Amino acid sequence: MTRRERVIDYLTKHNIDSSTVGLTTEQLAESLNIYRSNASKELNQLVRDGIILKGTGRPVRYWIKRTTYSGLLFTEKTPHDSNIGFAAKNSIDIKNKTTQIVRRKDENIFDNMVGSHDSLKNQVEQAKAALLYPPHGLNTLIIGPTGSGKTYFANTMYRFALGEDIIAKKGFVTFNCADYAHNPQLLMSHLFGYVKGAFTGANEDKDGLIQEADGGMLFLDEVHRLPPEGQEMVFYFMDHGIYSRLGENAKTHHANVRLICATTENPESSLLQTFVRRIPIIIQLPAFEQRTAQEKLQLLERLLTLEANRIHKNIRLNEDVVQALLGSVTYGNVGQLKSNIQLVCAQGFLNSMQNKDEINLEFGQLPPNIKDGLSHLASNRQELGKLTRLLETTMVIKPDAKKGLPAVDSYELPYNLYDIIGDKAALLKGEGLDQSSINNFIMTDINLHLKSFYQRDKLGKVDNRLNEIVDQEIIDLTKKIREILQKEEGYQVRDNFIYAMSLHISSFIKRVQSGKPLRKISSDLISMVQDFPDEWKLAVKVKNLIAEHYQFPIPESETYYMAILLVSVHSDSQKGNVGIVVAAHGKSTASSMAQVVSQLLSVDNIASYDMPLEMNPSVALNGIAEQVKKIDRGNGVLLLVDMGSLSTFSNKLTEKTGVNVKTIDMVTTAMVLEAARKTTLFDSNLEIVYRELREFVGYSRSAKLQGNTGKATHSEKQHDVRKKAIIAVCSTGEGTARKIKGILDNVLINNLIDDITVIPISVVKMNEQIKNIQKDYRVVATTGIVKPNIAVPFVSLKNLLQGGGESFVNLIEELNSERVSTETVLEQPENLTENVAQQYLEQYFTYLNPKKIVRVLWNYCNFIKQNSSFKMTNTFQINLIMHLAGAIERCLTQTPMTAEQSEIQSIKKDPFYHIVKQANEILQGTLNILLPESELYYILRLFDTEQIKVDTQNSNTLKK
Amino acid sequence: MAMNVRLLRIDSRLLHGQVATNWAKITKVERILVASDGVARDRIRKTLIVQAAPPGIKVNIVTIAKMIRIYHDLRFSTFNVMILVENPIDAKKLIAGGIEVRSVNIGAISFDNSRKMITDTIAVNQEDAAAFKWMHERQIKLDVRKVSGDSSKDLWKYLDSKEF
Repeated sequence: MTRRERVIDYLTKHNIDSSTVGLTTEQLAESLNIYRSNASKELNQLVRDGIILKGTGRPVRYWIKRTTYSGLLFTEKTPHDSNIGFAAKNSIDIKNKTTQIVRRKDENIFDNMVGSHDSLKNQVEQAKAALLYPPHGLNTLIIGPTGSGKTYFANTMYRFALGEDIIAKKGFVTFNCADYAHNPQLLMSHLFGYVKGAFTGANEDKDGLIQEADGGMLFLDEVHRLPPEGQEMVFYFMDHGIYSRLGENAKTHHANVRLICATTENPESSLLQTFVRRIPIIIQLPAFEQRTAQEKLQLLERLLTLEANRIHKNIRLNEDVVQALLGSVTYGNVGQLKSNIQLVCAQGFLNSMQNKDEINLEFGQLPPNIKDGLSHLASNRQELGKLTRLLETTMVIKPDAKKGLPAVDSYELPYNLYDIIGDKAALLKGEGLDQSSINNFIMTDINLHLKSFYQRDKLGKVDNRLNEIVDQEIIDLTKKIREILQKEEGYQVRDNFIYAMSLHISSFIKRVQSGKPLRKISSDLISMVQDFPDEWKLAVKVKNLIAEHYQFPIPESETYYMAILLVSVHSDSQKGNVGIVVAAHGKSTASSMAQVVSQLLSVDNIASYDMPLEMNPSVALNGIAEQVKKIDRGNGVLLLVDMGSLSTFSNKLTEKTGVNVKTIDMVTTAMVLEAARKTTLFDSNLEIVYRELREFVGYSRSAKLQGNTGKATHSEKQHDVRKKAIIAVCSTGEGTARKIKGILDNVLINNLIDDITVIPISVVKMNEQIKNIQKDYRVVATTGIVKPNIAVPFVSLKNLLQGGGESFVNLIEELNSERVSTETVLEQPENLTENVAQQYLEQYFTYLNPKKIVRVLWNYCNFIKQNSSFKMTNTFQINLIMHLAGAIERCLTQTPMTAEQSEIQSIKKDPFYHIVKQANEILQGTLNILLPESELYYILRLFDTEQIKVDTQNSNTLKK
Repeated sequence: MAMNVRLLRIDSRLLHGQVATNWAKITKVERILVASDGVARDRIRKTLIVQAAPPGIKVNIVTIAKMIRIYHDLRFSTFNVMILVENPIDAKKLIAGGIEVRSVNIGAISFDNSRKMITDTIAVNQEDAAAFKWMHERQIKLDVRKVSGDSSKDLWKYLDSKEF
């Protein structure tokens, strides 16, 4: 007799029906001598199958169901029964189902979920209710913070539904609405399908995901990103089960789909209001910190087991590692825990490669950000206490197929990391590297893998770089302050508020914690603040907010600094900046100039218009007019053009658009930069900017002019003996500005720049300080919380912290070197000619006839371009031609390059092997010279190197 | 402590395919410094050199004077580098400027009408030979190899036999 049958048998024999008090799980377990959990499992299953009934109240009691007592006494506990009348209808459903006695053996899938009896209890009940509600269940919206397990929860719902035969078909179709949020058309076509001719490129009818999910389940992630048109169609489909494909008029298609939506959005937010109104079941998942200590530990165990299953080894870790891991979860919840566990396991795996049975995670070897988890956890005594009680000194996780979570969430790596580590380690060992450098190499790799994966995904998207220098807690507090300032006080602040304020708070808190003396207030500061009574009032408010948050008094002096900070980040939203339109000939000349400058200065008042050479002037005029209209904020537009012929456009444009337009020709990147800087200054207007820009001739000279007025000569750079400096401005000139100095110094060293000093200063008496500095230094750029009013580039804090430091420094170098021109000449297509290549060949080769050979090698490149998808840049093409010429010359002198046997053997696996080999054969046909395999190896390496670079560049762009 | 120079190499073409793939790997440097007054001013050649750099390795193009300056600058003392120069005269300038090396690797020096071919890839004129002699007198090994796998040959012997 199965356990299930024994339970039914016992209940029937003892006549435990609703006329009795019923039987508790405890009693049943004891009577049948089975585990309590097993008893509970069977009872729950029998309730669902409608064979027994379950009471409300504690402890839960059960009765066998007799036909005479149908429905009446039956009350099912569900959190939503009042809204949706679930209880009554469900009992009918259960009656229908009693006929189905044979059930699947894998009992209750939800029981396997950590917390299903505790912090997720309600959520699980809701989910079941949603799925079982007749006839087709209820659509569900899952709400929860990033990484709290929404996808996992939805997938569990799906597996539950499958187990219960609620859905007919296997199939859990996932669609992330954020993926196409910027292109509603494309999004809709993915979701609903389209008919031939619905849009350009729709060459045939195509079904959408809704059709694909027919009979199964469709999971719409980040549903708040669904554009309004999409929402309408989804809601219509929810209500009626029918929809139309793109390009069809009538809604004629039918599909039976269970919809689960998910979002990280706050349910109160306006974005979600429609969804909350129209989706009956809302399941709110808790954040990691709201889980019980026990659950956190269970989650950790599960996730570790998952890794143990992958490496087929035990994982051993001490109490402190467990605490560090749990404490390392700051904002990303279970997802973040998972990625951190993957990271430390990968590291442990690498360090214990020689140990066949076990990997050891040691605290000393954890990455610093995870080590910090320990102190993070320690700061919450209560939580730590609860956890310590549950912890043993050492924990050993064994592989266990049953316990490993199924890999369904988006935090799962798409490949087996451990295989990669293993292979790579073997490879490096083969090359004779010692263990420590092998480990070094691979750790870098692992970090890269995980990082790129998670960046592509959800974690780490927000406040990325800021997070590294400021605690998340402070960032959150700052966001709160911003909200209060903007919403309650109507005080608008600029984008850089979060950066400026959180850095300020952070350095202040550090100072208090380290017991350093407080900052003195100078009389300058006090008199400056007197001019800003409004900011002073708000500063008091902000001060109180911080004091309240940290539960310690904040000294009066801080209020002054806070007021100054507010003055500097205040944005006057009424006033529009003068707009800038860059128009130039060439495929991307104008847009790339505009892009560089917008990024560098993080301004949004620049538009661009690219004009192919053959473009008709009247077309260009219309195009430019459109851009002028787009960028005008009521203060006129400055048009920067590359050729004099365009400068006659001003009047026509003003006529056409009604916007005041001034034109300046001979545009350079430096000029766009200067224009952007000037137009975003406080009181700029079109006339002034135009007048000043007409006199602008590049940074080297204008920066120079400030020093020794009037004496500018052509070799001024040699005469200006002052050292170069970058000024970093913050409220006090101490905390934040020093951090900025640290970042910039690193960038400078990394770029081998040894002649620029970074000088941190305070915003108080900023202009005087700058004047003083200019006596000894030539200021080449500024950064910080405010733009000082001097004619050099400025980079915002936000940009700097998000990795803009590199490009900032590069630009400064460029502007200060002899030539002020920032286009990469070589990549203009017309600049690569056979002549250029021929010149280089002449310079470097002895025996070849450049004139003759250049043609042959040119064709070689063309052959590869035409017959493969490889994108050959001009630079690569010249380098390749030079290399090939070298290879041919080496063949002629019979001194070919050498390569290792193993290297030569590897070439057949190279993705470029076939195409390059074919090209070599053509070369042989022409010149009767066959390049040996060692040379082929080096040619392939050129291609591989280029490909890797392109790939990393692409992934970098993606990250941005 | 000054910068760690793992390889000083003379090659007319400075940084190109074989250097990129082979020497960077063997010397395990994190950075390649191209020291040339000419290239530091030539945008196109700069672009070509940066393109040829192996992924993950930084390339900087500096003048000879700056190379000597940063070599002695403590801020850069943690760098492990390979230095590339175009000709023996620049190499001599660097060594005279205090950059310490025990050997100089010579890859290729392009032929022109002032020069004679002394190996299959190396052409020298009187000035070059004088610079090599200067290095030889300071016990600096003149190591001729295209890639690290080649057997090393001493340039001094070729110079001798060609009567420089």
